[in-house]
Amino acid sequence: MEDIKAYIESGILELYVLGNLTDAERHDVEDMCLKFPELSTEISQIENSLLQYSNVYGIEPPTSSRDKFLSSLNFEIQAEPLLEAEVINLPSREKSIRFYKYAFAASVALLLVSLFTIINLNKELKESKNEIIALQSSNQKFASQVNYIGKELQVNKKFLQVYQNPEEYKLVTLNGTPKAPEASMKVAFNKDKQEVLIDISSLNLPAPDANHQYQLWALVDGKPIDLGVFDYTSAQSGLTQMKSIGKVDAFAVTLEKKGGSKTPTLTELVVMGGA
Amino acid sequence: MRRDHIKIAEHELIEGIRRKDRMAAEALYDMYSAAIFGVIIRVVQNQELAEDLLQDTFVKAWNSFNSYDASKGKLFTWISNIARNSAIDKLRSKDFRNHSNIDKIENNVYAIDEQQYVEINSDGMGVRELVEKLKPQDKVILDLIYFKGYTHVEVSDELHLPLGTVKTRLRSAINTLKSFFN
Repeated sequence: MEDIKAYIESGILELYVLGNLTDAERHDVEDMCLKFPELSTEISQIENSLLQYSNVYGIEPPTSSRDKFLSSLNFEIQAEPLLEAEVINLPSREKSIRFYKYAFAASVALLLVSLFTIINLNKELKESKNEIIALQSSNQKFASQVNYIGKELQVNKKFLQVYQNPEEYKLVTLNGTPKAPEASMKVAFNKDKQEVLIDISSLNLPAPDANHQYQLWALVDGKPIDLGVFDYTSAQSGLTQMKSIGKVDAFAVTLEKKGGSKTPTLTELVVMGGA
Repeated sequence: MRRDHIKIAEHELIEGIRRKDRMAAEALYDMYSAAIFGVIIRVVQNQELAEDLLQDTFVKAWNSFNSYDASKGKLFTWISNIARNSAIDKLRSKDFRNHSNIDKIENNVYAIDEQQYVEINSDGMGVRELVEKLKPQDKVILDLIYFKGYTHVEVSDELHLPLGTVKTRLRSAINTLKSFFN
């Protein structure tokens, strides 16, 4: 034990801890430690003392050094979950590409169909518009025809009214004078309504020239009264209403200059008849 | 500036480093970086160089942890020796060292503390108190070896002291520390 104490007192253990020994000396110390466990205890105390001394004289390095140290190390990394994720991802990406291909093709097809339909519809729309125009014009034609027929019906009704009611309408036949022996016409006269109507279809008069018109007169108590002028063409028909009068002895027609005269030109008397 | 340092028991730390556990790397750095940096910067007397050497030391310790034998010493002892040896290698490679003037050496030992590095890392125990307990003749030898990387033979040469005296004074210094810390 005295030897061990001397060994410790020599200071070799301090040099051992401070790394100040040659390899041979160091191995000697380690061999001694195996034989004498108290040497290990002594060494441990020296180490502790130097650690404390270092801590007292310790200097904090910059914080960047810590990060630099930690980032320069390789820690255990588990890579397997990443690989698995890759395997799952690939088919789905392919699937989505295929989906977009089909979607694109479908879109193009739909576009073509839509264009074709639009062109067709446009054509049909134009045709329909033309049909509508044609229908509208024929409709107008019908309307005017109906209007015309209505008017004719009105005229015919009047005819019937005139010819079927002899007590209401007195039918006066005017016969030709020596100037125009073939001429004749009929006038309907309603005394109560003071109505005078010429039956155009019954007119049988010489055609007047462009500057003259026939004028109807009423003879009342030997005096001629103007009942108005009327045009005459063979194509015309119906009843022409003349000026009103309540009392008539006879009717006469003279050929006068266009627009009529105030007094009848007796030399141009064409037809005449007593009422 | 001081972070909440991670501190775990030494055997847990050793197991963690063997597993290459990130927590262990943080604990290793947090527990020893200040003490190791204090050693390195006193040897090289250069902040930038000291930071590089600190990196080298810890990365080397981490990567070659297989060569650490827990039965032959504490983890800190192992790392501090790596640090001191790397620092001395660096100085010698750059021919920083000058053995010619003993006064200069003694001044250099404490230069770093007289400059900007006055921060003291202790559990309520000041450096001055410790310095007062250590005999100056013992302390200079401890510091030349511990903080300047001298061998006891080099100290003997420089201080013109017998080798035995150097060893005795070194032991005396460490004994003072022992009684101080225990």
